[in-house]
Amino acid sequence: MIFLIEFDRAAHRILRFEHFDDAQREVAVKRRLALEIETATAKLDHEVVLLEAADEKQIRQTHRRYFKSVEDLVADFDEAEAK
Amino acid sequence: MRRRSGVIQRENPSSLASGAAPAQDASLVASKSLVDRLGERLRRAAATEADLRTLDEYRSSFDEAYRSVITTIREKLHKRPSGRPRKTTDSIVAKLKRETIRLSQMQDIAGCRLIVADVREQDRLVDDLKRLFPEHTVIDRRRHPSHGYRAVHVIAEVQGKPVEIQVRTRLQDLWAQLCEVRSDEIDKDLKYGGGPTEERRDLDTLSQLVYHVEIGKLKHSRLKTAGRELLMLFTKR
Repeated sequence: MIFLIEFDRAAHRILRFEHFDDAQREVAVKRRLALEIETATAKLDHEVVLLEAADEKQIRQTHRRYFKSVEDLVADFDEAEAK
Repeated sequence: MRRRSGVIQRENPSSLASGAAPAQDASLVASKSLVDRLGERLRRAAATEADLRTLDEYRSSFDEAYRSVITTIREKLHKRPSGRPRKTTDSIVAKLKRETIRLSQMQDIAGCRLIVADVREQDRLVDDLKRLFPEHTVIDRRRHPSHGYRAVHVIAEVQGKPVEIQVRTRLQDLWAQLCEVRSDEIDKDLKYGGGPTEERRDLDTLSQLVYHVEIGKLKHSRLKTAGRELLMLFTKR
């Protein structure tokens, strides 16, 4: 699956989170560029990124910074068992 | 200039000896200069719509190599990498401003990430990736981190294009994610060794603890305590 994220870094907030099937790759690519041009024209400091993973759960694990607070991440340290 | 460093091993010295992108034919060399001129414009001023479109076109030239790397990892190693097919414009511009690197030299325009349980699994996976992609560069930042960042990056060269494969343990990844969030909240330079001294020191301390836990010199419980202490400091600031 492909995920389009528009992220407000300063506010640490996801403004847009869209899913695309693998077959819609070109649509996702065009959508990302259009959104980037839109935010740049409006002089908004937003990150616009395409990510790809097997499912949403995976993207929430490998790219936690978009989804989690500092408190959540510190709690994750508690749970991670280093062996 | 702040650059992420690390222990670098190259398996294709002929094409990667300079640390730059591999040599290309004449037509690509010509387009390379166009790419670098675009990079210079992005370094100096806010991107125009035309520049954003040109940059995306350049990024798309890595798509085929990226797809090949993802498919190979899935099929041969039965792993599920998370991919970032095209480096964000923000990250590209920040790197151009921070370093002396040219746009055409960036090795991480396309990339993916694999998270593993521990350093032993990390070593095994890196070895597998080296075998799978015979032309590669390995950047090992575990013992010598870059501003606290620890991981192993394998830069696979496929179809003449570099694709960065980040291999992180869970703890290395958690530290990196925490650093990203604090960089967003406090100062973008934190990731690159800048930002407030106290914040920098605390992140460095946590990174060292991660390292010592991973090599078996400290118990994981010490990391839990440190995490809680750090959170208290963060919330006070």
